Amino acid sequence: MDYKIIPSICSYCGCGCGVLFQVLDGRLTGTLPMKTHPVNQGKLCIKGWNLHEHVISDKRLTSPMVKKDGQLQEASWDEAIRITADRLQAIIKDHGPDSVGVLVSAKITNEENYLAQKFARAVVGTNNVDHCARL
Amino acid sequence: MEEQIKEWPEPFSTTGDKTSTFDNLRDQVNAWLKEGKVDIFLGYKMVQGHPLPHCFTKENPDETDELIVGKARYSLEKMAANIAAQRPEIKIGLLVRDCNQRALNVLYVWNQLNPDQVETININCCPSRLKEHGDCSYLEPQPSGSYKKQVGIDNNMDVEVAEEFSQEERFHRWMYEFEKCIKCYGCRNICPVCFCQECSMEHNDLIATGTVPPEVPIFHLVRAVHMAGRCIDCGLCEDACPVDIPLRLLYRKVNQVVSDMFDYKTGMRADQSPFNILGDEVTLEPKPI
Repeated sequence: MDYKIIPSICSYCGCGCGVLFQVLDGRLTGTLPMKTHPVNQGKLCIKGWNLHEHVISDKRLTSPMVKKDGQLQEASWDEAIRITADRLQAIIKDHGPDSVGVLVSAKITNEENYLAQKFARAVVGTNNVDHCARL
Repeated sequence: MEEQIKEWPEPFSTTGDKTSTFDNLRDQVNAWLKEGKVDIFLGYKMVQGHPLPHCFTKENPDETDELIVGKARYSLEKMAANIAAQRPEIKIGLLVRDCNQRALNVLYVWNQLNPDQVETININCCPSRLKEHGDCSYLEPQPSGSYKKQVGIDNNMDVEVAEEFSQEERFHRWMYEFEKCIKCYGCRNICPVCFCQECSMEHNDLIATGTVPPEVPIFHLVRAVHMAGRCIDCGLCEDACPVDIPLRLLYRKVNQVVSDMFDYKTGMRADQSPFNILGDEVTLEPKPI
């Protein structure tokens, strides 16, 4: 029997609410608000309360998917990145950099968001960058 | 803003001072785990500067040196019920304040925990209407602001005072509170005595889904009705509510009705509930009104 309470930060938005994950025998079973956390003080919104659900969801993707013969199929990261890079290069060449947009999210870190906008501006060459928290 | 952030005084000595009663507690838990009186013990431990619930195990009994009582109250009994649902053979020990004990009694009544599998250590509890002095001061509601007092319901109100408003005014004041709801389901999720597999609050045919605020007042009243004979007035729901709806006051009223009708004091003892019809015989009769 192994029961753990693991403190973490909610990954759904930029607020940074403190959460506790309940782990029973290695399986994530629930999320609780952290009472003493200065940001949320023991409260959570509906997304935070259900943080554990997407982790254990059957619908969660566990590998990159590439569309082959009209169907999404599992692929390696190298293959998926290679195809994405080739297609982006081809699109930029044919239609210009502003034909590409980069959409980022609060579910990744501040630093990753910075890298994403850097990629859009410095690599792709477009200012088309947007974020889910602004929608 | 500063006033809103609660002070967290040093909970207890975390050094090995053998003279404090706190160390007696640690020794007792340590002995329980080593003797096998319990397989696991649910208490609190300081983690990253936060008093967090922690599961002490017989595999690592000396970890009890880090056991603290903790100023913040989590529903250890709900964790125990979750563990017991998966592993019914495990003997669970836990720290209990008065409210935890009342919740345990309700969980025993409703067969969510087997009292033979649970051992408790009582600790001093929070000041409340039931107890003036206590160590934990986290569950008393914050003083309400002037606008809330003017148009809503003050969380610190007594049931009798809240009932003095005229019916129309009372309705508008409660609707003001309910309409703030962001439908986080925090009140239900944190509730130590909410254990149904299927919840009416998520049932499409009973309450319209997909809107915020939820259908008011039915959303809150459905929960209030279900709290009759269940709510043990621990205050966790109000504590978890992001918009300070005076849920504790609402459920206190519901339980007052239960007390008047059936003379049943919820959670005070682990005996037959008037709402649990699965017993062998009816033990409680409605009192004449």
